[in-house]
Amino acid sequence: MSGSLTGITTHTRKVQSLYKRALRMLENWYDRREVYRYHAVLMRQRFDQNRNIKDTRSAKELVAKGESELFENSHWHPRKFPESPGGVAYGREVQPPDWVLDHWDPLEKAQYPEYFARREQRKKEFVKMWEDKYGKSSTFTPH
Amino acid sequence: MAGILVKSYRFCIKSSLQLRSLSTRPLAVSLISKGNETLQNYCPQIKSGSLILTQRLTPQERSYSSKPPLSLKLITDRVLLVLKLYDKINPEKLSLTSHFINDLGLDSLDHVEVIMAMEDEFGFEIPDADAEKLLRPADIVRYVGDREDIYE
Repeated sequence: MSGSLTGITTHTRKVQSLYKRALRMLENWYDRREVYRYHAVLMRQRFDQNRNIKDTRSAKELVAKGESELFENSHWHPRKFPESPGGVAYGREVQPPDWVLDHWDPLEKAQYPEYFARREQRKKEFVKMWEDKYGKSSTFTPH
Repeated sequence: MAGILVKSYRFCIKSSLQLRSLSTRPLAVSLISKGNETLQNYCPQIKSGSLILTQRLTPQERSYSSKPPLSLKLITDRVLLVLKLYDKINPEKLSLTSHFINDLGLDSLDHVEVIMAMEDEFGFEIPDADAEKLLRPADIVRYVGDREDIYE
């Protein structure tokens, strides 16, 4: 995931994201480390040349040009981390959401009496905290 | 000169074809024995006739895609080692609570490189939204520990 969900990011964040993806692109193309380092230093120099641009418009144009260049040079089979989307182990370990525990069978719950007693207590505390902060929830239901 | 070379090359091919058609098996056997001799010349510790060339010293273990056990101290050591090996950071100034940009004098692109080094070290992706909050080595240790479920 690159960038925030709302799409509001500063110019620095955009450049950082572009730089990171550019380096990963180079890593995909040049698998030997020393060759990759050579091209990475050249890429860093290209970014450093434009570091003191104060004009927002030209800076934005440069980022757009960089994005299009990155797209043109993108790799056909980019390397992924195992657990990131597209990786070999993506979704291998499923973390069940917390509310699943509330739907356990009573017999199953009875095997962990201490944990579930504390869990019920925490739930009550959370409801109390919520009501202190936002007021009691109304009993009116629209349906 | 080139003509002579071509002629000799053709002769070689012809003679080898004749040899093959006449006696294929002995040629192959002699080639193998020659190969053995050269192998022995290169690595004299290999004895001819022994099928097992090297003996495995440690018994083979299956890891079932599990990782070596981590602790917070181990994560801290690895984070600090990666940072010490980074050429723009002065290892004497480096501590767990030093700020990358204010204390160590890195710029935003250097910070990207640090985060990429951490991704490569621990083998998982750090999204940009999280990366912008990891401004001290202690934050990185905390983040990696939270991700790998390590609290002590």
